[in-house]
Amino acid sequence: MYAKEMLKQSLPLLIVCGLGAIIAGNTLSAMANILQKIPGLIIIIPAVIALRGNINTTLGSRLGSAYHLGIIDAENMWNDDLKQNIIGSLVLSFLMSFIIGVLAYVTSFLFHVQPDPFILIIIVIIAGGISGLILTFLTIIIIYLVFRRGYDPDNITGPALATFGDIITMLCIFGSAVFVGGFV
Amino acid sequence: MIYSWKKIVRHGLPLLTLCILIEIFAGQILWSNQQKLMLFPIFLISIPVINGVAGNIGSILGARLASGLHVGTIELTIKDKNMQKNLATSLFMGLITYSTLAILIYYIADVGSIEMNIGLIEFVSIVLGTGVLLILIISFVSVFTAFLSFKKGLDPDDVVAPVVTTVGDTLGIVFLFLLIGVVGI
Repeated sequence: MYAKEMLKQSLPLLIVCGLGAIIAGNTLSAMANILQKIPGLIIIIPAVIALRGNINTTLGSRLGSAYHLGIIDAENMWNDDLKQNIIGSLVLSFLMSFIIGVLAYVTSFLFHVQPDPFILIIIVIIAGGISGLILTFLTIIIIYLVFRRGYDPDNITGPALATFGDIITMLCIFGSAVFVGGFV
Repeated sequence: MIYSWKKIVRHGLPLLTLCILIEIFAGQILWSNQQKLMLFPIFLISIPVINGVAGNIGSILGARLASGLHVGTIELTIKDKNMQKNLATSLFMGLITYSTLAILIYYIADVGSIEMNIGLIEFVSIVLGTGVLLILIISFVSVFTAFLSFKKGLDPDDVVAPVVTTVGDTLGIVFLFLLIGVVGI
């Protein structure tokens, strides 16, 4: 519980995660044109990114606990507990993506603006679903590598997923918006 | 088998929905300021950075307080010296991280030939001002959430991170536009 130790261990990690966030930010600024083309698209961005962070860090920390409890390890990865965790995360991803689209549309009335509900919901579901799939499997790969090296997953998965998560999610929103935007 | 996907979904839904609802309002603020963001795309680059750093610092502080409370090296009082030291270090780390990243963003945007319309000093002061305000609030939210959840018999590990990242995302965007207004660009 020494402050100096906190500084030494956390500061480099904060800067590295910040560099990852700059990549995510550059993706966002590259989206300037599509943000103007699809009204209301920018509303969903903080929510989709936060969703990814929340679903995957809880998945990572559950798998970390499962490791400490001796339920999964490098030799015994593909068991029912892991499968239930994967299904749970993916169901949450699709369900919450749909809710984000609906909420973005509904709350827009309070601000007296009307985005196209179908376009927004489709963009969120594609972006949320694909980034959910990619990040769930990335979580498992990270956990597997961490197990094999004998590290404590609790120290690694959080920051690693936060950094990769933002970049991958932003790219998925970009791709999904360009794809759906091609039809409008 | 101790996990079931139905339980994971049922436990996750309420807190996630609440977080998402708050994040949607952050998104609405972004939308009402979209024209300004188009004029100064450098702030689009900064948004994930501003929110990410605050969320990370808040989560680290929260996790450390949670461990301290569990182990007993931190006591449930505002006067606890260890808690105050952690708080001060968080603020200090925020200052260093935000200044470094703000300067980096500025030169990366410059090299990437992104339309600037703003000077280095103005930009760094806006990001640093936003960051300092945000870290101040986030650190207190983190301490408050960790203490309150521990007092209520909840595990702070489960509560602090989602609360801190959601509050950080929303206030980060509010403070950014506040500071843009104060600096007057």
